[in-house]
Amino acid sequence: MIGAVRRNTELGLLVLGTMFVVGAYVLTTLPDNSPIPNTTGPFLAIIVGLPLVAHLAVRRLAPQADGMLLPLASLLNGLGYVFIVRIDEARAQSDGLAGLQSIWMILGVSAFIGTLIVVRDARLLERYRYTAGFVGIVLLLLPLAPVVGRTINGSRIWVSIGPVNFQPGEFAKLALAVFFAGYLWEKRELLAINRAYGPISLPDPKHLGPVLLAWGASLVVMVSERDLGSSLLFFTLFLVLIWVATERASYLAVGVALFAGGAFFAFNAFSHVQERVDIWFDPWGKDRGFQVVQAAFAMADGGVSGTGLALGSPTKIPVVESDMIFAAIGEELGLLGATAVLIAFLLMIGAGLRIAQQAARGFERLLAVGLTTLLGFQAFIIMAGVVRLLPLTGVTLPFISYGGSSLLANYVLLALLLRISNDSAQREAEYLAGRSMSEVGA
Amino acid sequence: MSKQIRNVGVFLMVCYAALFVQVNRLTIFEANALKDNPANNREVERDFSSPRGSIITADGTVVARSVPSNDQYKFLREYPTRDLFAHVTGYFAFELGSAGLERSYNDELAGRTIDFDLRELSDLFVDRERVGDLTLSMRNDVQQVARQELGQRQGSVVALDPRNGEILALWSFPSYDPNALATHDFNAAEAASNLLNADPEKPTLARSYQDNFFPGSTFKIVTAAAGIERGGVTPDQPDYPARQAYQPVGAGGRPVGRPIGNFGGATCGGTLFPIMEASCNSAFAQMGAEDAGADAMIDTAQAFGFNQDVPIDLPRPAGSSFPTNFENDPPKLAQSSIGQNDVQATPLQMALVAAAVANGGEIMTPHVVREVRDDQGEVVDTIPTDDVWTRAMSSGTADVLRQGMIRVVQDGTASRLDDDLPGYEVGGKTGTAQIGSSDSSHAWIIGFAGPPGEAPSVAVAVIVEGQPGVSEQTGGRVAAPIASAVMRQALEQPAAPADQESGDSNSG
Repeated sequence: MIGAVRRNTELGLLVLGTMFVVGAYVLTTLPDNSPIPNTTGPFLAIIVGLPLVAHLAVRRLAPQADGMLLPLASLLNGLGYVFIVRIDEARAQSDGLAGLQSIWMILGVSAFIGTLIVVRDARLLERYRYTAGFVGIVLLLLPLAPVVGRTINGSRIWVSIGPVNFQPGEFAKLALAVFFAGYLWEKRELLAINRAYGPISLPDPKHLGPVLLAWGASLVVMVSERDLGSSLLFFTLFLVLIWVATERASYLAVGVALFAGGAFFAFNAFSHVQERVDIWFDPWGKDRGFQVVQAAFAMADGGVSGTGLALGSPTKIPVVESDMIFAAIGEELGLLGATAVLIAFLLMIGAGLRIAQQAARGFERLLAVGLTTLLGFQAFIIMAGVVRLLPLTGVTLPFISYGGSSLLANYVLLALLLRISNDSAQREAEYLAGRSMSEVGA
Repeated sequence: MSKQIRNVGVFLMVCYAALFVQVNRLTIFEANALKDNPANNREVERDFSSPRGSIITADGTVVARSVPSNDQYKFLREYPTRDLFAHVTGYFAFELGSAGLERSYNDELAGRTIDFDLRELSDLFVDRERVGDLTLSMRNDVQQVARQELGQRQGSVVALDPRNGEILALWSFPSYDPNALATHDFNAAEAASNLLNADPEKPTLARSYQDNFFPGSTFKIVTAAAGIERGGVTPDQPDYPARQAYQPVGAGGRPVGRPIGNFGGATCGGTLFPIMEASCNSAFAQMGAEDAGADAMIDTAQAFGFNQDVPIDLPRPAGSSFPTNFENDPPKLAQSSIGQNDVQATPLQMALVAAAVANGGEIMTPHVVREVRDDQGEVVDTIPTDDVWTRAMSSGTADVLRQGMIRVVQDGTASRLDDDLPGYEVGGKTGTAQIGSSDSSHAWIIGFAGPPGEAPSVAVAVIVEGQPGVSEQTGGRVAAPIASAVMRQALEQPAAPADQESGDSNSG
């Protein structure tokens, strides 16, 4: 019953979102009085077709799952796609970003469906938690490996195999979320033991090992891969999960203290960290804060309602198609459009945490919290960097930014959340059915 | 565990609320400061990537337009008439900013005014760039005659229609080619700008409305107006004594300061019209200093527009000034009454003095733009032609002075002013303003012309700077022929504007 309602809600929302995206696409491509570009057909097919395919897959593979997440994700994905098309066209020399992004979108939705097929049951993931942990660490450290590791834009977070570049960190975060959820659920009781030090109770030092390990790993990522954003994201993920699993706020205190210490150490020891922070405080000097300054100028041009699609000049912002895309949205859609994006992410966070609350089993609850944190906090880190609320760190804006690894990973994340949601709804339905049958029996 | 999950939600909501606040700051509260940041060249770049309206003279010559460009910006600003309208159009340059009409009518040319926005709703589905074209009241033919007649002499020519304030010609030499500044080769533009700025003759300065000169004897029209309105002067009396010089007198009739002599030591005097014809220094000095007096002179000069900002639709017009500190200084008042001492006037101001006489005492607000049209040729804004800037004098006074100035042309120093104007009623007043105590002077003439019995339809001022010699004949000999030719061209029926010559420059 609930499944049918959810699927129809999903379809309705998808239609609404798709109408918006198609409208935006038409607006960005038609103002030039050139003839309708011959790529319009395929582009429209992608914008309209992909969400529909994903929806049909959910109907078949996770019919009871939450109906909000997919429409929100495909709305954000479509909006991002429209901006990438628009940015690509505005550049003197097209990088073919729009075409590539449409391929990534197809692969992303394929990965989404594939995940739903492969992970028939969330319990499957719990069984492979240590494997996931191992895979996660390997993926995390892969860019440091010789031969395949690549440094692009100052961050060593890329791996090149043949012609394909990808960021294994995007997938590592999923594997680590699975590992953390499984490991912490397993060890929660041990970890929850506190020792009193006078009036303060702290976790037993014996069990602080995992915390220190996670902290050390995120420091390694920050220092050796120069990836501040991912480092912050991993550490936050771990901290949130250990806190939710143990219900011990003392872990938060310890974690925040460790983070502060690590940040202080990194600030003093590494020039690139120091530079980021300097730019954050004073972006105006010497062209060094060029990105955030251009982003601020773009948003100022946007005002309340924006310059209008395709009427701004977002290409003045370096790497606007990936890290800085939120500034382009602020410029052309204004405060209203930027706020809509914030609300869309908040709704996704809400849906994700609701899935966590409704999940029957601890591992699934933890995993849902972890995945939601990854999505919501990553989006926060990069948007905060763009508007200079935090130092700018190079992570992508989920579903919106250009980038294959990010898009694929986030579609997998979405599939996992839907899988968890479907399983708990199904169990609930079975439970209710079972109870009514026993009532009949009595 | 539920509580913790809920708190994760609260934490993320706080994060997003902070984001929302910061987005508000950037898009709303700090937006203006960010737009004004010197490092922010978005607006300029936008202007260079969009079409911009044309500026077209009343007789249909395009003097500024945007043409598609194949370099880093989509459009290049072009000035087909080169130096001819440079002081009016100004320039629209990337790093040097803008000047002239390009500056004062920037919003209209870029299509950013409300007049255009209001039409937007119906244009939503039409591919159309909203820019505005300016139609000038100025005429290419009159401007060309002005340039040709002034030749390679430093000076200015201003011609306008006294009935409505429409400027017909506004030329100064030297001028410059705005194309050199508007080029997209920024190094070349900067070099051209440096060269222009280093030139001691200041070609970018519009001497016609942005620079001041001693008006000399042309100012005697103002003195005569003060004498008639407040000093009891009529065509019949007083009869100023024939003499070589006027000796200013202080309290108790004692002579103060040096006497004010006539040019070349000539002897002159008589009633109003004869002293206007002869441009008699001694008589006008006495009229200003004794018959009108300081208050009347100051009031009248200010009624003519001195010591005020000129409300012309061009940026940075210079004001004209008449001193206000005559306490116990009769010599200064006497000198000021013949347009010397600290009296300063722009050529535009002196053209407006002639216009006041021609237009029954009222000076209409001067303007070079007649109307703003959208790119469909529809008029979206019309500059009013019935806007009075200032009433200089009563219509009765203007009548007397009009007759006087006609006499100056018929029998006086401005006799060459009607050389080119047979059959028209022509009035004028010459001036020769000595530059300090040197042997050179500015040659002036102001005047008006029109069909007999009708309100004059053109008023002019011409100044030729730094002419050798100091003689009252200079203005009449040097400046009058220029004014005569310009007025003759202005009185010709203007050619019908070539229809929408600008249309091609807007499609883009």
